[in-house]
Amino acid sequence: MTDIIVNGMAFSLPLFIIAVGGIYSERSGVTNLALEGFLGAGAFFGAVFVTLTSGLFAATSQLPMYLALIVAMLGGALYAVIHAVLCIKFKANQVISGVVVNILAMALTDFLTSQINSVALGQSSDKFVLTVSGRLTFEPLASIPVLGGFFTNVYPFEFVIIAVAVVAWYAMYKTRFGMRLRACGDNPYAVDAAGCNVARLQFTAVLISGALSGLGGMCFAYSVFGNYSTSIYTGYGYLAIAAMIFGNWKIPQTLGACLLFGFARSAGYVLVQKLGMPSTYSDLIMILPYALTLLLLVFFSKNNRAPRALGEIYDKGKR
Amino acid sequence: MKRNKTSPLSRAFLAVMGNEKRQAVTIPLFAVFLSLIAGAVLMLLLGKNPIDGYISLLQGCGMLPKEKYAGGKGMFTDLMGYLDIWTPMLFASLAVAVAYKAGLFNIGVSGQMLLGGFLASITVGYSPLPAVVAKPLTIVVCMIVGALAGALIGVLKYKFNINEVVSAIMLNYIFQYVISFFILTYFVNPVTRQSETVSAAARLTLQDVQLFGMKTVVPLGFVLALIAVFVMHFFINRTRQGFELKAVGASRSAAEYAGVSTKRTILMAMSLSGALAGLAGATYYLGYLGSIQPKVLTTTGFDAIAVCLLGNANPLGILASSFLITIITKGGTYMNSSIGVPQEVSSLITGLMLLFAACGVYIRARLKRVKDRLEQEEKEAKKEGGKA
Repeated sequence: MTDIIVNGMAFSLPLFIIAVGGIYSERSGVTNLALEGFLGAGAFFGAVFVTLTSGLFAATSQLPMYLALIVAMLGGALYAVIHAVLCIKFKANQVISGVVVNILAMALTDFLTSQINSVALGQSSDKFVLTVSGRLTFEPLASIPVLGGFFTNVYPFEFVIIAVAVVAWYAMYKTRFGMRLRACGDNPYAVDAAGCNVARLQFTAVLISGALSGLGGMCFAYSVFGNYSTSIYTGYGYLAIAAMIFGNWKIPQTLGACLLFGFARSAGYVLVQKLGMPSTYSDLIMILPYALTLLLLVFFSKNNRAPRALGEIYDKGKR
Repeated sequence: MKRNKTSPLSRAFLAVMGNEKRQAVTIPLFAVFLSLIAGAVLMLLLGKNPIDGYISLLQGCGMLPKEKYAGGKGMFTDLMGYLDIWTPMLFASLAVAVAYKAGLFNIGVSGQMLLGGFLASITVGYSPLPAVVAKPLTIVVCMIVGALAGALIGVLKYKFNINEVVSAIMLNYIFQYVISFFILTYFVNPVTRQSETVSAAARLTLQDVQLFGMKTVVPLGFVLALIAVFVMHFFINRTRQGFELKAVGASRSAAEYAGVSTKRTILMAMSLSGALAGLAGATYYLGYLGSIQPKVLTTTGFDAIAVCLLGNANPLGILASSFLITIITKGGTYMNSSIGVPQEVSSLITGLMLLFAACGVYIRARLKRVKDRLEQEEKEAKKEGGKA
């Protein structure tokens, strides 16, 4: 049971913060299929930072990890500029732009990874090795039956994610910026009439989306993979999109969806282990989050309401 | 009021790009041009000669002679090998295009290819049927399976309001893992760690054929793919269903108002798209490869999006754009082995090509603005001329 909670949380939270990134973009009216590319690009920047500065820190220092998370956020935001420019400035089809941004991210980071490896480090490798981040156990709390799992073997980045998510939630629902952003996704013309710059608002939203996805991607690199390579593009970005839609584009509900995915996945793995099934059966477990998503969408998406102006290209002249 | 004159540069650009009708061709060509330049710059940065690089791309595809060939092989061998890998790409891009015309985005082509290829492999590929029966049967099985997989996405879309992109991606993963499980459990070849090779009778690409004194493969599916291009062109532009498809793609509510059943059209578009994806799977898994690698989803279905975009979702445009992109992807291997340009460069060129193609709307808008301004200036010039 403890294993299920530990691994479930370690998977759900990065997924959640990526999905929050998606919510920011889509609530502002910009369809975002590019989360996959954002998270990979963000993690790439973080991993490059860790690799290039590895000599500067003491081996046991946890500081590089926190810095890497920040760099990953900046890198994700930087990469998100492509999507923002294509969608907002160039008025390209937002679905196409998202797919293009993903394909480009994969090609670009793949190329740069092997180049940086050979030029800066003099080795031929297609990945950056990261240390798997340390884990914390909070002793008195960890021995509580069942619930203790939430305090055992916790990755430090989980707290970062929770902190960032709380800020993101506050900004979205309690500030003027958040209110305008949400209004933008439903009726950008009204926002414009109220004297607010729609393009700038959407641009900011997409950049935030990139930053949050980059953070999530870096966390995946530190936990699930333990290194950075193109294998980071395994579709978690798309899974986050599914979680966002399942969560009806609202942050609290999306957290629920992500927890469900994470726990379904970790419970499946534990089940395979417990029943002593051969390892090929883990392939069947891998489909659990995806199959569950589809099934739940079948039941719930009827009542789903996407932001009304989602995917619409804002044209001032139409006002 | 004095206004800046339109710069000669934008005038020249407008003249090159032509009127709106010609722009359908020139804008994608412009994207290709830009990405090839970007690729050349990249190769220069890596210290390679870009001209050698692009020549080696063509050499790898049998379009230019290489310096030397292994015994019994020649340019023709490379060319046939190129056609062999071009075929599934052509089908897959057509699959994306049909859905795209109806305003749907079929990102599940790779999954539909895999499902069709796998089911055809285990039913026909591992059976003792003679070639006359097995080959057509392979094609039929793949088409039907693909069509059903595509239709499923269509049903989820109109019945349960599930975004087709999300459901297609979920299905991609489900197919990938379930099929990987079955392959590893029942059909794995212990040496290659892939599925067992399908029988020669069922295989759509003839292996080791002696032609013109050279050993080569013969991709039978290529003829089918060429036919499919023209059939799709006719279907989209000359039939009622094709018109309804485009109407739904242009505006769902307007099509509904005009009496077109959107439900039926969505279902038809997705089934057709799935069937074409199935054909891509047939020519890929039972033609080009002959076996299936577990846990891997081919990139063909995703590259096909690029091809479709570059070809303006027009079957004839796709014929040209898939021709080009396949040269870059297939030739990349030879470019790597002959002059040592990393393989990633070729995928980067493809990625950039896509990026520039996605800017097409913007370029078009800019051109229109330049044109409007030019007309305005001409009018003003005429007025002034009249006064004087």
